[in-house]
Amino acid sequence: MVRDERIPGDQLRETADELRDRWPTGADADFEAAVEFHESLPESKRFADVLESADRPLLQPRAGVPRLDDQIDLLRYLESEGGADLLPTTIDSYTRDNEYGKAAEGLTEARESGENTLNGFPAVNHGVDACRELVRSVDAPVEVRHGTPDARLLAVVTLAGGFESFEGGPISYNIPYTKEHDLAETIEHWQFVDRLCGAYTERGVRINREPFGPLTGTLVPPAIAIAVMILEGLLATTQGVRSLTLGYGQVGNVVQDVAALRALRSLGEEYLPDDTVVTTVFHEWMGGFPPDEARASGVIGLGGATAALARPDKVITKSPQEFQGVPTREANASGLRTTRQLVDMMIEQDIVVDGIDRERELIERTARSLVETAIARGDGDAARGTVAAFESGELDVPFAPSDSAAAAVLPARDDDGRVRVLEWGDLAVPDDIKEVHEARLDERARTEGRSRSFRMVADDVDAISDGKLIGRPTATDGGSERRGATDDPASGGESDAD
Amino acid sequence: MGQTVILGVIGSDAHVVGITIIEQALTAAGFDVENLGVQTSKAEFVSAADAHDAGAVLVSSLYGHARQDCQGLHERLAEVDCDAVTYIGGNLAVGQDDWSETAERFRELGFDRVFDAETDPSAVVAALERDLDTTVTETATDRVRVDS
Repeated sequence: MVRDERIPGDQLRETADELRDRWPTGADADFEAAVEFHESLPESKRFADVLESADRPLLQPRAGVPRLDDQIDLLRYLESEGGADLLPTTIDSYTRDNEYGKAAEGLTEARESGENTLNGFPAVNHGVDACRELVRSVDAPVEVRHGTPDARLLAVVTLAGGFESFEGGPISYNIPYTKEHDLAETIEHWQFVDRLCGAYTERGVRINREPFGPLTGTLVPPAIAIAVMILEGLLATTQGVRSLTLGYGQVGNVVQDVAALRALRSLGEEYLPDDTVVTTVFHEWMGGFPPDEARASGVIGLGGATAALARPDKVITKSPQEFQGVPTREANASGLRTTRQLVDMMIEQDIVVDGIDRERELIERTARSLVETAIARGDGDAARGTVAAFESGELDVPFAPSDSAAAAVLPARDDDGRVRVLEWGDLAVPDDIKEVHEARLDERARTEGRSRSFRMVADDVDAISDGKLIGRPTATDGGSERRGATDDPASGGESDAD
Repeated sequence: MGQTVILGVIGSDAHVVGITIIEQALTAAGFDVENLGVQTSKAEFVSAADAHDAGAVLVSSLYGHARQDCQGLHERLAEVDCDAVTYIGGNLAVGQDDWSETAERFRELGFDRVFDAETDPSAVVAALERDLDTTVTETATDRVRVDS
């Protein structure tokens, strides 16, 4: 049975030794040598310090290509031409699935053909020395960005390789990223990762940890994301993490996005221990993008504007080529510059937006209910409670592919474009809050002359790529008729189809 | 060849939203759908196609590794005497690829139809209605643009 308790030092070392035997590059990951390498880095590469001392939102792209030289060139380009403040190294999907053999094949093919045959940088295959060369070759601090349920060996190799920030967490890298990984086991695997970060922290190398806020990236109600961030933050601090960046993904309604980021920061500070520095990260829109670079830049610009209003510590930028997968480096840098232009033009303006406090109060009450229900289900233990609450559906994420989540919750936008909940499943939310959501969705249904249904969900999923925020039916295409989708996909329950 | 449609996201890919919406569209159109979900291996596609005497196998991939993931899929389907039509759809190469080249590569792998990530579910429904009603399967590459 998983417990929210700190892993003893000898057990940490024992597990690390076992993991190092799993792939040949593991042997080079010596902890003492790694601490020495981190100490040799200049202050400008100390991820936690750079992020926590910034006086404006720092910008960070995503970027990962298979070969080391290409990755170095790419990151240097994003620094010089994109003006990135913080750098990423995005890990390929085979490594995320612990398929190091397949990643090796892809890397060999990339080296032979000159093509990017993997969708990221296979850091385990590259090993410790290559990671150090990468970290040495750029000016800004570098973070490992991925989506790995069992990221233990990846953490062993990359932290020894000089990376000072590590994305992910047991809920946020299980529920949206995998089908079969067991949640309790994933929590144990992340306790190891967090404990390893804690071991570096004890030695003065404060590794920054960043739970993945956007979750499934598709119309995630803010309170659900925030509750997951708090629970992952609690689990991480138990293991000794002292620098935590909690995340949230843009939904596109400005009032709701600003309210959510403020709620995330205040609940993070309230729930997490005082000796932990809590920062926030805002992800530009994670859903489907317009298949048109000019329109995509508009979506990115709205992200920059929202960041200027909400002032998160960091913004993860998107590129105008997002709709077609991994962007060129030019497009990636352009997303950074578009964001910077909006942030810098707006950040000194004192803009008052009506309704933020009301929305924030609603989000905070909902998130509190989710967090406290989860902790209560574990009799005060956040690890056990998280497993129990996902099992019962009291904690849930829309569109979750994982067998560990009910995925009964279905979101839809209200008449103002804010993300509300259409199907609740067993989500632990007080009735008066549910009534607010239902009233708002009824309002939209009346505006559109149709009843609340899965059609709205399918229409909303495509709305931004279609050039709108809300997936309204239109006279020309019959709107949702094109979709041909009428039923609730996740709960299997009855929906009030048109 | 039966009429069951096998659906899944191949390889290590966990992009679930598109397949959820396709499943809804196919079910609503009256197809008998077996959705294998995300992160489905070649072996799982083949054994499901065999077990259900599938009429069609629909492979989804959004993360760019489709080519490596699909190597040998058609040979394995042939080994179990599966004569289902096969479709693939999504973002099929890493990065900003030339679509006609990418589509050609997947036709060479043996796919009967190749769809891009913007394909409307109704186009898949229409293609299946044609392919499952006729004994002669035309080989075609469809690219359906919703927005342009």
